[in-house]
Amino acid sequence: MRFHKAGVAAAVALSLAACSPGSGSTDKTDAPSTVSTDVAKAGNVTLKLTDFWGAAEGEWIKSVITGFQTKYPNVKIARTTEDWGQLNSTLNLQLQDDSGPDIATANNGWQSLGTLAKGNLVLNLDAYAKAYGWDKKVPTTITRQNTFTTDFKTMGSGSWFSTPMARTSLIGLYYNADKLKKLGINPPTSLDELEADAAKAKAAGEVPFEYGSLDGSTTVLLGLQALLADKKKLNDYIYGDSTVKATDVAMTDAITLTKKWADEGFFPPKFNGIDYQTAVANFVGGKGVFRWEYTGSLGLNAQQQGHFGYIQLPQKSSSGTVGVGAAPGAMVISAKSKHPDVAAAFLDYLMSPEAGQMAADKGLVPAMSPDVKVPASSLSLTGESAGAATLDKNDGYVPYFDWSSPTMLDTLGQNLQLVYAGKMTPDKFTAAVDKDRDTFLAGQG
Amino acid sequence: MVVTARPATPAETRDADVRRRPLRRRTRWIGLGFAALPLAVYGLVVLVPLAQSVQYSFYKWDGVSASTFVGLDNYRSFVTDPVLRSTLGHVLVLIGFFALLPIVLGLLSAALLTRAKQPGMAVYRWIFFLPQVMTSVVIALVFKRIYAPDGPLNTALRAVGLDSLAKTWLGDFTWALPALGLIGTWVTFGFCMVLFISGTSAIAPELYEAARIDGAGPVREFFAVTLPGLRGQLAVALTLTITAALRTFDLVWITTHGGPGTSTLTPAVALYKAAFQNPQVGLAAAIGVVMAALCLVIAVVITRVSERD
Repeated sequence: MRFHKAGVAAAVALSLAACSPGSGSTDKTDAPSTVSTDVAKAGNVTLKLTDFWGAAEGEWIKSVITGFQTKYPNVKIARTTEDWGQLNSTLNLQLQDDSGPDIATANNGWQSLGTLAKGNLVLNLDAYAKAYGWDKKVPTTITRQNTFTTDFKTMGSGSWFSTPMARTSLIGLYYNADKLKKLGINPPTSLDELEADAAKAKAAGEVPFEYGSLDGSTTVLLGLQALLADKKKLNDYIYGDSTVKATDVAMTDAITLTKKWADEGFFPPKFNGIDYQTAVANFVGGKGVFRWEYTGSLGLNAQQQGHFGYIQLPQKSSSGTVGVGAAPGAMVISAKSKHPDVAAAFLDYLMSPEAGQMAADKGLVPAMSPDVKVPASSLSLTGESAGAATLDKNDGYVPYFDWSSPTMLDTLGQNLQLVYAGKMTPDKFTAAVDKDRDTFLAGQG
Repeated sequence: MVVTARPATPAETRDADVRRRPLRRRTRWIGLGFAALPLAVYGLVVLVPLAQSVQYSFYKWDGVSASTFVGLDNYRSFVTDPVLRSTLGHVLVLIGFFALLPIVLGLLSAALLTRAKQPGMAVYRWIFFLPQVMTSVVIALVFKRIYAPDGPLNTALRAVGLDSLAKTWLGDFTWALPALGLIGTWVTFGFCMVLFISGTSAIAPELYEAARIDGAGPVREFFAVTLPGLRGQLAVALTLTITAALRTFDLVWITTHGGPGTSTLTPAVALYKAAFQNPQVGLAAAIGVVMAALCLVIAVVITRVSERD
């Protein structure tokens, strides 16, 4: 018994001796004031890049590096790649290390980029944005995804802390081209047409939308919300403007319409027992006519890309096209980098039409590259690329809704299942969304 | 605790102390010397993280930036947060499926299997014990298939004309939790059975003979001889299965993620979400501490009860 007491006493002493968790501090760094865009003058420079890209994305970044090194023979870029989860959980440590990467891929939002910026681990890029004219080059709705105010209370305005790239990841509508042809339906160009087509497909004995809600998939809801909501308000809501409420960003309309589709049998029978992976496999395997999905998530091979199309539908109110989308990563420059000027030039190159063309060549969705050439044999990439171009032109991006709070994705998924089961009304759903975000905002202080 | 019939006089006690103390002290220090290294390792990998968890549980912390002391707020959410509170109810249901049902079934099958020696007994034991050695992830994936809308279970129900009973087991608010529970029953049942069979074979045959001579039937024999003889095994089975139910994570994570809604959310899943998905490290620590305390209390209660004569 005495040993137990000693152990407890030691444990208590230890916990008292330790200071409160997370109280370590970092030095304050300011935005570089004098910057140079002349890379050739920098002499021989080796930059370290750490990213989370594999497969086609890995091939893409390799060709971008080659392109940059050809352009500036005095620069060498040493690339390391890490698994997405691995890099996310260790990036803050890597950036504190003197021999850490100069450039890295972070994640947008409070979780990753916000924490790194707040901890002064990544450079404020305002001076480079000015020097390279990023404000003119990048659509405002994408720029906002990379900015924080310097008091780190607000996301979506203030200084640049990361840059996007000439690529994007969107939520949009995929369709099975063979099925549409068989049903005698042209790809829909509006939400009303889509609903009419879905009804037609249903009448012909097809499943209009391949979908499963077992693990709380939210793509239908968020895809619809972008067609119904006011673009600016939706952006403001997600960036934490507490004067905008979920009802102002068409959340109730979107959930009501989603529920209506479920009740009308637009989803597969017993879709509440189908998980995400199964639904994807079903759609690619030929079940269902349409599917709301993130670009790049269907894993279509070259042959399949000719049989699936992609549409970025315009808003219901016909006020342009608005879609959920963001760059597949946020490029940051380490505050410890000795060659920030050269690193910034590489970031600028990542946003260039050359990098966009390289993306299209690898089958990835290009952005900010209006003259990009896409292989005509790939129906899906043609559609995706056209969607991104339209969003660029309309400046119509909205970020992923779950950037609004860390618990948002869970809240959406769980309550969506309750709505499908008739255990929650659309109004209550919207109230739950507000409650989740406002609780988070209150905690941010 | 030594109980003496007659209180010792002060003189006697002092005598005894003087004689015994040097020896007792020396053995204690030697023992401690031997135990020092294991104790240090134990302290480093168990006690220190435990103390840290307890410390974190009093803070609101996102895991990176500065934390704020919030006292018992994290523990209070077990009362104030209806979702977190409901996880305790879900665990009670799971205990029924993970502990009580397998033990009842295990006792029954042990009694049946040990009554008469049948050929191929070992095969039965092997088959029923199999789930225990399988990786839980594999089991969860297999049952996800079985419970799927077009999975074997629904197909079988439809084949025998019970179409009305076919449902999306894991997507149904009423059935998801029992469906998960039955997976647990399947896993722990074989373990309980094997434990009880070995326990029964250790009971002296004379007891059964005596019971039979006294005119006891199979049922009476079971309650008068087998059940009391298995007290130790019952304690082990209860402790292991109840703590397994309390810690249920992989099964839920792979099949339902806690859904539909939050109808299959367990404390362990809530802990994982709080610690690794949502930056609420303090809350996660509090859930962990509560789970550890519950496991400890249950283990102590079961040991005390089973060892009482």
